Amino acid sequence: MELTEQQIQRYSRHIILEQVGGTGQEKLLSSKVLIVGAGGLGAPAALYLAAAGVGTIGIIDADKVDLTNLQRQIIHHTGDVGVEKVASAEAKMRAINPDVKVKTYHQRAKADNIREVIRGYDFVIDGTDNFPAKFLVNDACYFEKIAFSHAGILRFDGQLITVLPGQTTCYRCIFHAPPPADAVPSCSQAGVLGVLAGVVGSLQATEAIKYLLGIGDLLTGTLLTYNALTMEFRKVRLKRNPECRLCGENPQITELKDEEQIVCDLKDCKR
Amino acid sequence: MCKVKQPILRIPESVKKDTFAYRSRVEKFVQGQTSAVAFRAYRVPMGVYEQRAAGKYMVRIRIGAGLVLPYQLERIAQLSKTYGNGIVHVTTRQDIQIHEVNIEDTPDVLEGLLEVGLSPRGGGGNTVRNVTACPRAGVCPKEEFDVSPYALAAAEYLLQFKNSYNLPRKYKIVFSGCSADCAFASVADLGFFAHQKDGVKGFAVYAGGGLGSNPAVGLKIEDFITDNEILEVAEAIKRLFDKYGDRSNKHKARLRYVVARVGTQEFIKLYKIERQEVRNQGLRGDIPKVRAGASKFEVPRSVVDSDNSRSPLRHNVLAEKTEGLFTVMLRLNLGDIPADDLIKTGQTAEKFGQGLVRTSQLQNLLITSVPRQNIEKVRSTLEGLSIDVTGNGRGKIVTCTGAATCKLGLCLSRGLADAISDKLNQSKASRQQGETIIRISGCPNSCGHHYIADIGFQGRAKRVNGRLMPCYDVLAGAQTTERTAHLAERVGSVPAKKIPDLLAEAFAAGAIKKEQLKGLVERYDDFSSPEFPDEYYYDFGATEPFSLAGRGPGECGAGVMDVIKLDVDQAKEAIRAAHKTQAAKDKSESVYEAIIAAARALLVIFGLEPKKDREIFAAFSKHLIEPAWVKPQAQQLLDNAIDWRMGDRNSIDDLLPQVEDLAKRVEELFLSLDANLKFKAKPAAQKANAGVPEDKAQTQKHTVDLRGVACPLNFVKAKIELEKIDAGEILEVLLDDGEPTKNVPESFTHQGQEVIEVKNVGDHFCVKVRRKK
Repeated sequence: MELTEQQIQRYSRHIILEQVGGTGQEKLLSSKVLIVGAGGLGAPAALYLAAAGVGTIGIIDADKVDLTNLQRQIIHHTGDVGVEKVASAEAKMRAINPDVKVKTYHQRAKADNIREVIRGYDFVIDGTDNFPAKFLVNDACYFEKIAFSHAGILRFDGQLITVLPGQTTCYRCIFHAPPPADAVPSCSQAGVLGVLAGVVGSLQATEAIKYLLGIGDLLTGTLLTYNALTMEFRKVRLKRNPECRLCGENPQITELKDEEQIVCDLKDCKR
Repeated sequence: MCKVKQPILRIPESVKKDTFAYRSRVEKFVQGQTSAVAFRAYRVPMGVYEQRAAGKYMVRIRIGAGLVLPYQLERIAQLSKTYGNGIVHVTTRQDIQIHEVNIEDTPDVLEGLLEVGLSPRGGGGNTVRNVTACPRAGVCPKEEFDVSPYALAAAEYLLQFKNSYNLPRKYKIVFSGCSADCAFASVADLGFFAHQKDGVKGFAVYAGGGLGSNPAVGLKIEDFITDNEILEVAEAIKRLFDKYGDRSNKHKARLRYVVARVGTQEFIKLYKIERQEVRNQGLRGDIPKVRAGASKFEVPRSVVDSDNSRSPLRHNVLAEKTEGLFTVMLRLNLGDIPADDLIKTGQTAEKFGQGLVRTSQLQNLLITSVPRQNIEKVRSTLEGLSIDVTGNGRGKIVTCTGAATCKLGLCLSRGLADAISDKLNQSKASRQQGETIIRISGCPNSCGHHYIADIGFQGRAKRVNGRLMPCYDVLAGAQTTERTAHLAERVGSVPAKKIPDLLAEAFAAGAIKKEQLKGLVERYDDFSSPEFPDEYYYDFGATEPFSLAGRGPGECGAGVMDVIKLDVDQAKEAIRAAHKTQAAKDKSESVYEAIIAAARALLVIFGLEPKKDREIFAAFSKHLIEPAWVKPQAQQLLDNAIDWRMGDRNSIDDLLPQVEDLAKRVEELFLSLDANLKFKAKPAAQKANAGVPEDKAQTQKHTVDLRGVACPLNFVKAKIELEKIDAGEILEVLLDDGEPTKNVPESFTHQGQEVIEVKNVGDHFCVKVRRKK
């Protein structure tokens, strides 16, 4: 592909970078990223990936924009309240960069649909807000062999890890299964600093771009934790778990299933 | 006491009808059924102007003879508060303006005004504008007689006809009560001076005066007419103007251009013919009666002449012709007054004065016929206003609205006015200013009336050390009196930023007369310094360097033309210099200067202001040679010029004939520009086959021509090209001298590529890079 004059100008700051260049930018333009959840984490990730010229961006979410979302889900604006989140996100991505092809999935990611949705993407960003969904994304990416970035946020704390399924530490290597209901408070119970979502979601986008370009060191086998109050970033080395029920030596999980657990009631509270 | 409540200027029935029809026209426009252009042609003659701020409109209300009643002021103020910005503006032609109104609200404003007998009809466009009169008509001790009734009658007569709203250009009529000419009849399209001959009231009449570009003092067309002949004269001049005014060029359309074109004798002859015809046919339409004007307003009785104390307002109190009555002047800063203060001013006039307020040509308000014992009361009520109207350092400066809101403006005239006021107050020079009036226009259109100033300033752009600097021409020595009227003359031009100091020094030294001022200006008139402080390139209150770029076609008219003319004149001057000099080197210098000026002149209409010679030539090639406005041979001339500049050619003095051709062609194109800044001249040749050079560059493998591409985009593009070739191969990059030649090789080196050679190849550079990875 040949960059147009406008693209050369638009992406000039990327192209100047030694590690990107024109070829790198062309790679991004022919890449595909799926974002699961158009919420706090998905919002900044979607905006930055669109701005960066990732050629195809898919986004899946079943919800509509609620007033309580706007404190951190910066892709949605006040006028979008009541609009499907995926539609709102699509409009903003298109507005930032008409180069980008946006695919929307207005549905909840479930065991029976997620594999078809993520199939064909180069990278997945897990921007979900509850434990069962996070395990579902982890497992689905494992079965489809798609690299993904996991992240979670609560109050002032965030964490993320990048997983190359079958090669590096997966979410289930660390956490075997969702915690029991009510063991961990949800965001609406405990609160969350809005900008924390921006920091962590942006870090996820960074991982996606590095993966697509094949540059730098990914957060594989390493959990990055961040505390917004102390401003401390910590890297925790985590080895693959041979006893992982998904990717270990004796795998027990052979197919997807929806696990039971409280759903972060941020979105339930409006009902 | 009887206070007359009927509006002073009576709005003709036809104008009332027009006003009621306005609403549906606006609705159609808002709904998109009328184009902006068509609507504008309708809207402007209704007195509704678009302001520079997008989507905001100004309503200009004619105040006949400058006489307005308190209840009318109250309505204006309310409308300003409800629909506008709450600040009312008094103009130099005695109009009152409401600013920042949304177009949807303008029908409410127009209808609201009509309810109190006011109308903006004819406030703008090519119409009979407000008919003005002495600000103190009827009370001034010097006047021959009260001229306001005649101003009102002339207005009422002309306003009733549809064709008064579609003249070749505007038609301004002024009545002055005596030769002192406070109303500026000497520089009007039609000016009347009151005289009495054997006890009969009458006028001497002048025509074809006007300010703006190519200003002129009026030509005397009648020694004396009796007062009942004024309508005939006004009608005759209107017909003459309609017939002979140049509708095709609005910049040359005013009546004074007719005088200039046909000559004074022929003009008077034409006038006599029209006048005779009007007399033979008789006047049409309703003939308004000449009613008592300002003087019919009774003054407060029981004038007791007891108190002789000197009022703190004394500088603003003027004696009237009736003993014991006084005019109190409210000095406004640049004509602005908050709406609430306007209401209070009306109430004050009602209570302590004649029951009317007057607008003055110096953008002030007057309360007339205040008995001496009421002066103190007026003073205390005026002290309650939110603005200072005593004129402490302000109110003696008249400015146009300036480039901040005016689409034609060059300089920010109001910013200069503020800076002058601050400086004069600071240095206490405001006291020495006395009654000297400073007038500032941001461009040659002269809305600040700088040609009739004691000290006048006309904004202009000057190219200093390759950059545009906001400057002003300084003018002095105007006289506006009957018979001996003459315009101010230019005594020099100075950077805008030096003007406050200049004035402080002038007033301190008492240098207000033209000759003294000239001596002083000469010291400030030095542009030869190789360096000026950076702030000199910023206009007052501006955060961006002074620039004319971005003033699109149609919005800049006069302003842009002025800048082009600068360069055209410079080219001609350089050619003259080249002819005069014998030394080959000096001759080449002049030839080069002429080429640069000629090449740069027209670029501003494309929104370009290149600074470097190479950029100027590149832009000229693209916008004038490629579309064939200029012959292709010009390219050779530009190339030779660059070669000489780079030292690859010993002289270019032999190119003088070609340069003359180029300058001539550029001037031809310049003179053919229409109001939309499009050339009316025919192209010089068949359109050059544009694009061929680029194709060639692309087919030549491993070479990329990035001349004319700025940093860092040149590197971006070079890098993309480098990525296309295999490792070990070499790419040649053609670059402009300067930053690119430094930056691009550096960036490649930083990124681990091998820069083999950076070579000066005449007018540009070639950088060879080997791809390492």
